[in-house]
Amino acid sequence: MAALLEVQNLVKTFGTVRAVDSASLVVEPNTITALIGPNGSGKTTLFNLITGYLPPDSGRVSFRGRDITGSDAGSLYRRGLSRTFQQARVFPALTVQENLTVAAGYSWGQLFGRRLSRSDRERVGELLEEFRLGHVADLFASELSYGQRKLLEFAAVLMSSPSLIMLDEPTAGVNPVMIETMEHHIRQRHAAGITFLIVEHDMTFVMRLCNPVIVLDQGREIFAGAPAEVQNNPLVLDAYLGS
Amino acid sequence: MSSRRYAGPLRGVVFFALLASLPSFNLAHWVLNILVFTLMYAVMSSSWNLVGGFAGYPSLGHAAFFGIGAYAMALWFQHHAIHSGYEPFLLLPLVGLLAAAIGLPVAVIAMRTRSDVFAIVTITLLFVTQTLAFNLRGLTNGAQGLSIAAPPFSAGTFERPFYYTLIVLLALAMGITFGVMRSKLGLSLAAVRADEDKARGIGVRVLGVKLLSFSVSVGLTAMVGGIWAYYEGFIYPQFAVDPLVTIAIVLMTFLGGRATLWGPVLGAFILETGQQTLAYSLGGSQFYLIAYAMVFLLVMLLMPRGIVPSIQDRLRQRRRRIEVDAGAPRPSSPRMTRSSDTRSSVPALKGHG
Amino acid sequence: MHALIQGIILGVLTAGVYALMASGQTLIFGIMKVVNLAQGAMVILGAYLSYQLFTSFGIDPLLAIPITTVAMFILGVAVQLLFLRPLKAEDRSELSLLVTFAVALLLEGIMSVTWKTSVRSINTGYANSSWTVFGYQITLVRLWAFLLSIAALLVLYLLLNRTRFGRAIRATVQNPESARLLGVESSRVSALGFGLGAATAAAAGSVYGLLYPFNSGSHYDLISRLLSIVLLGGLGSIGGAVVGALIVSTSSAVVASAISPSWSEMTFFVILLLVLLIRPQGLFGTTARGAI
Repeated sequence: MAALLEVQNLVKTFGTVRAVDSASLVVEPNTITALIGPNGSGKTTLFNLITGYLPPDSGRVSFRGRDITGSDAGSLYRRGLSRTFQQARVFPALTVQENLTVAAGYSWGQLFGRRLSRSDRERVGELLEEFRLGHVADLFASELSYGQRKLLEFAAVLMSSPSLIMLDEPTAGVNPVMIETMEHHIRQRHAAGITFLIVEHDMTFVMRLCNPVIVLDQGREIFAGAPAEVQNNPLVLDAYLGS
Repeated sequence: MSSRRYAGPLRGVVFFALLASLPSFNLAHWVLNILVFTLMYAVMSSSWNLVGGFAGYPSLGHAAFFGIGAYAMALWFQHHAIHSGYEPFLLLPLVGLLAAAIGLPVAVIAMRTRSDVFAIVTITLLFVTQTLAFNLRGLTNGAQGLSIAAPPFSAGTFERPFYYTLIVLLALAMGITFGVMRSKLGLSLAAVRADEDKARGIGVRVLGVKLLSFSVSVGLTAMVGGIWAYYEGFIYPQFAVDPLVTIAIVLMTFLGGRATLWGPVLGAFILETGQQTLAYSLGGSQFYLIAYAMVFLLVMLLMPRGIVPSIQDRLRQRRRRIEVDAGAPRPSSPRMTRSSDTRSSVPALKGHG
Repeated sequence: MHALIQGIILGVLTAGVYALMASGQTLIFGIMKVVNLAQGAMVILGAYLSYQLFTSFGIDPLLAIPITTVAMFILGVAVQLLFLRPLKAEDRSELSLLVTFAVALLLEGIMSVTWKTSVRSINTGYANSSWTVFGYQITLVRLWAFLLSIAALLVLYLLLNRTRFGRAIRATVQNPESARLLGVESSRVSALGFGLGAATAAAAGSVYGLLYPFNSGSHYDLISRLLSIVLLGGLGSIGGAVVGALIVSTSSAVVASAISPSWSEMTFFVILLLVLLIRPQGLFGTTARGAI
């Protein structure tokens, strides 16, 4: 089967720092792939390069078999490549319903339609039920807890019917119950056919949810394989513990 | 709840009916004159609000488009005679379209920058326009200025055509604002204002909505400039393209409340009438400038969010409290005290990647 | 060709005073992320103070500088404490534009009440002497102004690089977060930094008063020029401000002598727009404000 996402020799330097140093990796369809690595190994930069938030210096990214290097983030999103941010970037002054609606990727004509049409409400309502956010539908996002905001951001990127979702630390800073909730939703959506690429520091979370696991160190992939193999790999241990 | 649904339109109808009936009270000319200027500012603040309030791009260059409108009007009637006196009003839509067309490329360049840099770039454009108005003597007659033939309206009701035209324009500006707030356009603009990169990343047509709001905004502003030129009868570069006009518009919008329907209008009514009164009572003396600056500073310090949002927050809080009392299962954390909202303050401590 | 070189000489000599004003402004931005629209008004106030000291007590503007800078330093600190500090962090960058503009209006009002609106100039004994070098005219007062500005810039440089206060300021400019973690008190640095920016404006004002006639409304011309310079150089970069001043002042002097003075204003606006089109962050700026 062809890879869903393929990254080849991606490079990004900031001044003298090579944040991403000729990184290559492959995400197979219908997997929950983890991307782990020590702090500063370039995971978030890699995310930004793949999703069009930053232009790479060189290298190639292809998604569903098409070259998407340097495409802008918005068009990638409409083509089914969604992501979330580490800090849960939602729109604080919009209500929960509006946060979801605005992420639906509507066309030019729809811009002049109602802010929240009946069909919006229905569609959003289903999603909110699924994520158990129905009771806060009319609250401003600024009134949610941090965990709820992360959940909201996750729910929002589902509005575009993505085929690949990239989550940047979905469990960072949220309580254990919320981590379970998050895991539940990822599994459910995975079962419905969505592929995930997840940056995560919580190793138990990664070990029980993800397969395969890709390890990044100093801006390049040093390992890719089953979670069980990661723990025994000397290269990975070196990267984490320092050689 | 359904009573609230009709409160908005009702408020609008009452407001405009009241405005339209004012001239029939035989008001003195100086009062009508103040009203004409107040309406001009109300239209311009409402228009500025589209880009400065909803899109979050604080343009300081709107006076340039006011000037473009004024000059467009004056120049057209250098070459065309005025017969009935109403031709200039019919020309206004064209003036607006012209300014909107000029605004598009300007927005493409200026809106690459954000917040304060955008403000500086736009104020620079204002100075460029002023310099052009002074220097392109062949076209603008430079510092000598241009004049438009006086309208053949009777002295007793001279202000009325201007006044009613401005009411129509205000209705248009507020109608557009209302439409924006109720549509996905407003939703998109709100996303752009809050976090433009994120908005772009979730497929919001960022560039499109920014350009649209800017052009509509400057088009409306230019139409006011056109009316102003005709009303005054003569224009000079330093008054047609005046940084103080920009600042007044911005201040009014801030005072009333950005990104609200009524805020800019309220701000214009408070400040323009206040300013005119100050100018009358302190005469031409420079104390007037000091008084204006002090008012300005007080507004910024005491009410940075503006009047309308402050009231809305109050009402929202009260409604929440009522709903909670009635047993609605809904947490009621007031929106204004965001920093004290303990549930929502888990900071992202890790700054890596 | 002659006009061109004369223009360049004039431009470079004038650049000094603009570099001085602009470095004060860019410093304030660097520390507080505030675009100070009152910088021009502060310069004119400095010029008036210098004018007053000269006409009342016969103090030469050069000697007046220590006095005016101290006075304006205090004023700057007061403005920061009274008007800027109370602003909430989340909307500071937008509101501070309006607040500093209001301060500019306030200063303009006070100046026009105190000194009326007629145009003033400081006529020192050496105001009209000039030399001719290889056929190019160099007025003594311009040379003097240039040297004074360079000296003041040097003092500013030493202050920023050789003192504890200067190190605190530079730390804040580079990274406010870590500066705070290292124990730099940002509110104090902000107040003193704003004072320093105002003091720079005072020094520039004394020099400006030597060079040009002025009145209370002159600050509008100054502020548009200053904004172009700091944007051109990159907000927050003092080196950028100096280079920006050189470009702006030379280009407008060249256009003034080669084409017409009335088009000289346009020149640097056009340069600015071109630069922003290619590099929104300015020549020496690191990041465009808010753009990532």
